[in-house]
Amino acid sequence: MGSVTLRNIRKSYGPVEVLHGIDLDVADGEFVVLVGPSGCGKSTLLRSLAGLETISAGDISIDDKVINGLEPKNRDIAMVFQNYALYPHMKVRENMAFSLKLNKVPKDEIESKVAKAAEILSLTAMLDRYPKQLSGGQRQRVAMGRAIVRDPKVFLFDEPLSNLDAKLRVQMRSEIKELHQRLGTTIVYVTHDQIEAMTMADKIVVMKDGHVEQIGAPLDLYDTPANLFVAGFIGSPSMNFMSCTAQGGKAVLSNGQVLGAAPAGLGEGQAFTAGVRPEHFVIGSGALDAPVTLVEPTGAEIQFTVDIAGDHVLITTRDRVTARLGDTLNLSVEPGKLHAFDPETGARLGGV
Amino acid sequence: MNPQPRPLYWIGLSIFGLVIATYVLFPIFWLFLASFKTTGELASLPLTFWPVAPTIEAYTALFDTTSQSSQILNWPRLISNSFLVSVSSTLIVLVFGTLAGYAFSRIQFPGRDLILGGLLISRMFQGAALLLPTYRLMNNLGLQDSLLGLTLLYSAFGLPFATWIIASSLREIPFELEESAMMDGASRLQCMVKIVLPLATPALITAAMWHFVGAWSEFAFASILMESSDSKTVTIGLASFVELFTIEFNRVGAAASLVAMPIMLVFFFGQRYFTRGLLAGAVKG
Ligand SMILES: Nc1ncnc2c1ncn2[C@@H]1O[C@H](COP(=O)(O)OP(=O)(O)OP(=O)(O)O)[C@@H](O)[C@H]1O
Ligand SMILES: [Mg+2]
Repeated sequence: MGSVTLRNIRKSYGPVEVLHGIDLDVADGEFVVLVGPSGCGKSTLLRSLAGLETISAGDISIDDKVINGLEPKNRDIAMVFQNYALYPHMKVRENMAFSLKLNKVPKDEIESKVAKAAEILSLTAMLDRYPKQLSGGQRQRVAMGRAIVRDPKVFLFDEPLSNLDAKLRVQMRSEIKELHQRLGTTIVYVTHDQIEAMTMADKIVVMKDGHVEQIGAPLDLYDTPANLFVAGFIGSPSMNFMSCTAQGGKAVLSNGQVLGAAPAGLGEGQAFTAGVRPEHFVIGSGALDAPVTLVEPTGAEIQFTVDIAGDHVLITTRDRVTARLGDTLNLSVEPGKLHAFDPETGARLGGV
Repeated sequence: MNPQPRPLYWIGLSIFGLVIATYVLFPIFWLFLASFKTTGELASLPLTFWPVAPTIEAYTALFDTTSQSSQILNWPRLISNSFLVSVSSTLIVLVFGTLAGYAFSRIQFPGRDLILGGLLISRMFQGAALLLPTYRLMNNLGLQDSLLGLTLLYSAFGLPFATWIIASSLREIPFELEESAMMDGASRLQCMVKIVLPLATPALITAAMWHFVGAWSEFAFASILMESSDSKTVTIGLASFVELFTIEFNRVGAAASLVAMPIMLVFFFGQRYFTRGLLAGAVKG
């Protein structure tokens, strides 16, 4: 069992508050990803959960037991650090056995646990090497091995893949996900890479400036972002934003052209920020004429940058559209794919 | 791309180094050789360089407790005194230097870097200027002419630099290693013993060597503080020996060689760590 509950977590460094009351529920066995721009407080939250930082207010519980005052070692949590933090003077075997030894686990049990973890992670051949004799990916796996031999209630990962090259990152991403499916242990994972978050998480927590912006399943965040920030942060390439006014149920651009149907629930004449994902434009069937300013074929799809009412708007299509620079595209927005946000607060407006 | 260093340059530099080394070491080596000669050979002309009939007579004489000279200078006693003072003050410096160095490297407190730098500056004020005040102080404390007093004094003198060396090297050990160990179930003390100290070994050895050599060869303070013949150390012994037995160069040579031995051993075995540790401290801190 390993469910985690955070209630109104606040953290200040001196007079500066960096976490402003975080609430989060993590179910047993869930893979939760904290994502957000640099400096938003992801690491701080994770380290508070680990017990490496003391929180200024709030409650942290594991399995409904408040653990606020507990030392890290008494929390039954394992953490994988960004730079792996392997003990350089110990062999891989000793690195993985360290916590078990400290906890006075019998020798043969240590050996079998280390052997099993090494096998899961394909590290068996490396057990007698020192960390400096390993590649980045192997070090990463040792760090995970050190965590899994303990069989803790919760795993914490703080940007574990950011020191790896792009290809290895993709590989390790699926390895961690497989590991999670195999072990079923609760994982809280920090990253600033929204693709990592989308692909791995059962549940994503989007943070900004010490606040939680939205919590939800990856596709829920993608389909119904709660505000402008989440809308722009989740998804790549990111959502296009245009200023509109609601007129007769339509979203009317500043140049008078109609972008599409306005979401229900907007007042007549209400100004709002319209958000449309690049793949939600339909080319060749609409009232909206937009000149092409850039064409970028990526192979699988073509990206067009067009000018809509003075804004650069990115459109992607899987069709082989032959438009060229200076041509005009005839556009409409897929029904129900036009998001509306309050231009002042950024909050989502209307239904979809 | 670095141009290959020219061989001529290196040959020249090596020869230059050799000449300097010979110039410096020759008298020492001559004295060492003299310790294996008889008094007769030393007095005869022309002077010999290598001992004609090598003998350890001069050494046995040093340890001959029945001889008249050992009434004045008891070499076994001097040597054990020096060992006692050097080894125990080295241990004290290591223990406190490690604890203080750990605090300097891990705890953020106001003025930390200033104080750490100050530790280094304190080394500049050692020496003659401190002789008299120290003498007064030790007298007031009743610690003059006492091996305990000398041990404490050496520890006090050695602690700042040892702390600085250790702190500089501990700073380079990422704190995340300790955090990781704490997550793994280690207490703060276990972190220190199992993670920090093993990684700081070169610095600890450097600090220990540095201090031991300094304490072993310290002369000025020992000579003003240690009055009775039972509490003297080797450096005082050597100085008075030269006064007493100027003519008997073989005995002077034997005593000097003996006193130099521990230092040479320390450098021989610790050299590797010594240079490495100092460099580690030199780059940062
Ligand atoms: N020891 C500290 N003292 C003061 N401020 C700190 C300290 N540690 C972190 N902060 C501040 O807290 C905020 C959150 O930092 P945190 O490391 O949690 O960000 P993060 O979301 O993990 O960012 P990144 O993606 O860059 O790792 C930052 O504004 C940072 O400047
Ligand atoms: Mg971080």
